[in-house]
Amino acid sequence: MTVIISDDSRAAWGRQLEEELVQMGVRTQQFAADRLRIRPCIACSSCSGRTYGRCVLPDDMQHLYPHIAGCRALVLVSPLLFGSVSHHIKKVMDRMSALGDPRYHYSDGELVKGMRGQGMRYYMLGIGDGPDEAQRRAFCFLHEENRRIMNVEGRAFVLDSRFQQAELTRIAEEIGRG
Amino acid sequence: MLLERIRLVSGGEMHFLPQEGGFDELVQAMREAGTIIISGPCYINSYPARLLELLEAAARMGGFSGQKLYGIINGGMPYVHTHRHGLYCLQFFAEQNGLLWQGGFVLGGGAMLDGAPLEKHMARRSVVPAFSEFTRHVVEGSQTPDALYENAQNPPGKLVTRVFAWLLSRMVVKRLKEYGHDPTAPSWYLNEQD
Repeated sequence: MTVIISDDSRAAWGRQLEEELVQMGVRTQQFAADRLRIRPCIACSSCSGRTYGRCVLPDDMQHLYPHIAGCRALVLVSPLLFGSVSHHIKKVMDRMSALGDPRYHYSDGELVKGMRGQGMRYYMLGIGDGPDEAQRRAFCFLHEENRRIMNVEGRAFVLDSRFQQAELTRIAEEIGRG
Repeated sequence: MLLERIRLVSGGEMHFLPQEGGFDELVQAMREAGTIIISGPCYINSYPARLLELLEAAARMGGFSGQKLYGIINGGMPYVHTHRHGLYCLQFFAEQNGLLWQGGFVLGGGAMLDGAPLEKHMARRSVVPAFSEFTRHVVEGSQTPDALYENAQNPPGKLVTRVFAWLLSRMVVKRLKEYGHDPTAPSWYLNEQD
């Protein structure tokens, strides 16, 4: 299953990407984070201790966790804001710690962590109003840092908000191919 | 606390990010300031969502006119690159909203996250003077170079990193076992799938 979590507060980009993937025969689920009640992570550390692997905040993130935990690919779709994702998407990212491996590993000379027991691929799609090169680089840098510390494969894409449908199709094809 | 350390030298007001509700009062305080220092922890390679929410709200509300903005981000991994993205966000926020980006300080190694003094940092001999230099830039209102924090924190070597990975994992596993958990068990949420 490919899971799309999007901030559709500006446009239904997540829904559009889902339609592209479904047309290609990729099993896909899409969730609009901006319409869910998700609280910010409070860094209580319970998910890496007392309630290992489980977040104690009782909100809509509890509905997303099983989908993320079992997915083949996770795609975060967000307005590109300040070279980053929106706060709606960052809330989901911050709360994903509950699905991470709390142990430390060695990779390419550095400490990394990882996701628990799954070969998930991880994508981010940022869509901005005429994003300049510096913002594009910052967005891709954030994804690359996420990817390294999660020890997963995947890549980031950046589109202008006036994108052509064919550009979204190409991104869907790359995600669908894996 | 890193901000308190600066405030002892520079004076000024300290505001805490409200964990719920709106940001009207905080944004108003930012508008009225001549210099703003935003300091926060690193969650998943950048500032936490709630801080991004503040930036989004401040950009919507507007009204900034040349305030000097500095940033501090502090994370657990002993590397600069792991946490640096937070400063990129602040720089774009400043550039797009009429503030003056003056640079920041990235602090890896994590000890300060729990309120420990900077003197407990693993690279204290270089980090403490570098942070004092950063503070001087803030007091003088001058641009602070990235090299200040970059040169103060050398990543541990490969052998030390391997030892760290083993030791830290051992501590994590021990703690999980004390709580009665199996660290190698599949995610609990896999049982909750529809």
